[in-house]
Amino acid sequence: MSRLILQSGVSGVLVGGMYGLVALGLALAFGVLKVLNVAHGELLMLGGYAAFFAFTLWGLDPIVSIPLVFLGLCLFGVILYFTLFRHVTKLAIGPRIKNSLLLSFGLVLVLQALAVRFFTGDERTISTSYSSEAITIGWLRVPVVRLAGLVVAVVAAFLLEWVLTRTRFGLALRATSEDWTRAALTGVNVGWVYLTAFAISAGLAAVAGSLIGLGYSVSPSIGLGWTLKALIVVVLAGLGSMRGIILAGVFLGLTESLAAVWLGGEYREIAALVLFLLVLSVRPQGFFGRAHA
Amino acid sequence: MRKTALSVLAVLSMIVAACGTEGADTTTTTTAPVEATTTAPVAETTTTGEEPMDAPESITIGAVVPLTGAFAGGGAQIERGYRYAVEAINEAGGVSVEEFGVSLPLELVVRDDASDPNQTASNMEELGGAGVVAYLGGFATPVVAAGTAIAERSEIPYLAVATSTQALHEQGFRYFFSPFPKSPDMAVTTFEMLNGLIPEGDRPLRVGIFQESTDWGEELGPLWAENAAGNGYEVVLHETYAPGATDFTDIILKAQAADVQALLSLPTPPDGFAIYQQMGELGWKPPFNLVVRAADVPTWNDLGEAGEGVVMSTPWHPGLGFPGTEEVNARHLDEEGRPADPVVGSAYALVEILADAIERAGTLDHEAVRDAIAATDGLSTIIGPITFRENGTAPVPNPLMQRVAGAIELIWPADAATSDLVFPAN
Amino acid sequence: MPRKWLAVVSGSAVLALAVGIGLGSDNQHLLTIAIQTMLLAALASSWNILGGFAGQISLGHAVFFGLGAQITRELWLGGLPLAVSVATALLVTAVFAAVVGVPMLRFRDIYFTIGTLALGVAIFLTVGNVRPRLSSLTVEALREYNFSGPYFMTLGTLVVTVAVATWLKNSKVGLGMMAVRDDEEAAGSTGINPLSHKMVAFVVSAALASMAGASYAYFTASYYPSFPFSVVWTFEAILVAFVGGMGTITGPLIGSVFFVVGRDALPSSIEEFQVVVFGLLFIVVVLLLPGGLLEGAQRLIGRRSKQDTQSTSNEGTTKSKGKELV
Repeated sequence: MSRLILQSGVSGVLVGGMYGLVALGLALAFGVLKVLNVAHGELLMLGGYAAFFAFTLWGLDPIVSIPLVFLGLCLFGVILYFTLFRHVTKLAIGPRIKNSLLLSFGLVLVLQALAVRFFTGDERTISTSYSSEAITIGWLRVPVVRLAGLVVAVVAAFLLEWVLTRTRFGLALRATSEDWTRAALTGVNVGWVYLTAFAISAGLAAVAGSLIGLGYSVSPSIGLGWTLKALIVVVLAGLGSMRGIILAGVFLGLTESLAAVWLGGEYREIAALVLFLLVLSVRPQGFFGRAHA
Repeated sequence: MRKTALSVLAVLSMIVAACGTEGADTTTTTTAPVEATTTAPVAETTTTGEEPMDAPESITIGAVVPLTGAFAGGGAQIERGYRYAVEAINEAGGVSVEEFGVSLPLELVVRDDASDPNQTASNMEELGGAGVVAYLGGFATPVVAAGTAIAERSEIPYLAVATSTQALHEQGFRYFFSPFPKSPDMAVTTFEMLNGLIPEGDRPLRVGIFQESTDWGEELGPLWAENAAGNGYEVVLHETYAPGATDFTDIILKAQAADVQALLSLPTPPDGFAIYQQMGELGWKPPFNLVVRAADVPTWNDLGEAGEGVVMSTPWHPGLGFPGTEEVNARHLDEEGRPADPVVGSAYALVEILADAIERAGTLDHEAVRDAIAATDGLSTIIGPITFRENGTAPVPNPLMQRVAGAIELIWPADAATSDLVFPAN
Repeated sequence: MPRKWLAVVSGSAVLALAVGIGLGSDNQHLLTIAIQTMLLAALASSWNILGGFAGQISLGHAVFFGLGAQITRELWLGGLPLAVSVATALLVTAVFAAVVGVPMLRFRDIYFTIGTLALGVAIFLTVGNVRPRLSSLTVEALREYNFSGPYFMTLGTLVVTVAVATWLKNSKVGLGMMAVRDDEEAAGSTGINPLSHKMVAFVVSAALASMAGASYAYFTASYYPSFPFSVVWTFEAILVAFVGGMGTITGPLIGSVFFVVGRDALPSSIEEFQVVVFGLLFIVVVLLLPGGLLEGAQRLIGRRSKQDTQSTSNEGTTKSKGKELV
């Protein structure tokens, strides 16, 4: 029994790392641009397919192709920003959130249907030589592929945190997310900030997607499920915290796994959601968010 | 000014489109690249010498299939099966309808319900209103179930495959026909095969069941357990899980701890991928693995070693060798680059059955066609001879296949097998 | 007050049209689409009471729709008269909303939104676990199925929802809700109790949603019990409310027609591209009409100028020039 708990716990932490990685991009887009992009999962899906095709067509290992996938989807994010989201950022915050929700909904339909058309509806996965490898500590197995997911998530979070706190660009990002009018007044090119933040957000989604393609599977309809998880994680962490996101993701993953062990597989997600609500009632601003003024 | 004009245009076009749908004549045919499936009616001299009634141009069949959404993969196979069959029949001269004294081509109208049962219903209503002779179903129980009720209410025959839930046939519906392996048959065949192919001393007597918490899971899980016990096997594990989870560590570890030798599961894609990937990561796989449904996808080979050796319970395999198989296989190989997928054959057979029924009925009247379908007796189709039972099911082959080195080998029934069962699989 | 008369006349015309279709048509497809449109419009309107008037964006609306549907269906198919089943469903849902509202309404803004989402998904999964079997009408019921019953029940639900929304909008309670929406702290300091106003909106919105659910249960031939609890219903209701025009009465109605009819009317010879086209159309509408379809229509007839859209929070009528139509 203890083996079950421990191994499930490890799996939960690893899955949680993925949840965190997916949530990072969403948090960035929402934090800086104040747009709610429900097509985040679709960007993830596209990243997954990008990694898949890089693997099957050119033999590129998915870990190695991460920078490529990141840049590729950053570019796509730039295009999306210029054609679509830029118009939404001209609005006041209320209609901005609303319209970005609507806009991204339309995008979800378009991207999903195009994916079905070009990739077929069947799920794909990337199996490398190390796909079933695990680091063994006694009877405990830490699958290499899942560990990679957690490592990438942590690295990404630290990188992002570093950029946000130690670079001028990061300062501009934070200033814009707190008060874009004042930031503009102090000379920040808000348009550029929005553009780069959105592009990075798309890139992060793609990286998560390629790891999901490696550790799980991708198909055109996986987007919404991951987006919903990401939303929960973002709120659990509390708005405004990047480092907290990975931790919140891990918490969610761990809760799910332990719930599965103690309550049965059917209650895995239900228990996690209920716990989420309980945490929120005790701490309404999330783990690391600022208390409501 | 331009913006206003554009919005006016948008609204107007929607109104026009909306007006256009009422009682619209749906003469749309299937996907663009393929040439039109309708050919000119071939007139035959009537035997009675009377003036034939005014014949329609074609026999319209309405198929509501999930082409996008969660079931898109299976839906694509279904659509292919229908399309191949319609074209084959039309090329051979169409379907003769005595009432009109001519042979008419079949016209397949396909609608995408996006895997949403709500849209299944509204699409079927629309097709019904446009005068389809019969409905062909989609993929997976949720959308097919929605369809059965609409068909029953509209009193239009409804043929579907890709659903194994016996419960759909216990509602007393008269218009629903599904010549497809159902849970009771599947459970029986599983152990028939195990006993038939594996000598007594070597059998994997410790059985584990991963039961999905859906209506079909609730049906098949207990049936497996029952058949296991009845055949001398021991159910050492019977776990329920909700579909769509990201992690199956808990049930896999429990199965390992219970020393499961034969694992039976019916995962919804992509859970099948997840379960077998994670078994690979956890370093455990039982000697016998039956994966119903999830392993049917052509992309299962992506899993590589982790997915090797799983047995599939699928409705059809080209190796069964029934009439029509060669042509379908060749065409599929040509167009899709691989032998025909499992559900393609079953879908193809539905059109064969319908065409035959219409010919026997001699008319396009719904009730008469329904009666003719119900009376189908030993009709030779690509899935074998078909005779319907009262509840709309039919004894059909329930072949079992195994994925071996990237290929799908037919292992049961033994006399049609293309390869021996690879056991143990690990 | 010519504007008010215009509203009454056009409203009556639409109602008459709806009744006419219900009585006169036996085109099953038309009736199905009409019912689906009215259903979504009712659901969107009920959501609008909480989201548009009181400013609390809930993503768990489907819970009440689902409860209304499930309770009605189980009792009705179990033998109780329909009216009793519906009344029970309404009552139980209202009580449930009151109970759940106490902890939920303490959350603010995005926390409330995601909190209700979590609640909604949790309940959806639970229902899927405890009621996995298909709920289908019997053969006899299908044989005797008459669209009139469900049609007029759905129409009735829509009328009641619109009536309640209209009354609320012009009432003191409603004004209080909108004050809370616009600035909760300020409202509190003027003596309005934000929590009680939010609670009223929450419960009323839930009760009306459950009525829509009951209509769905009466209409549908077969479905899975978890289906009405699906987050998709919430999304569609919100999208319809947004696209039509939030905080208005006719917004959800227009939005629903656009959504349901638009999606169904697309020529299906393009198959999966149907979805792409609908998505693109959606995007175009959002970009061109950030204030929603209603506002676009109003601009067409010269009621609003372009400036209003960009500066207004779009959540009410307070800043528009002249009174809004409905």
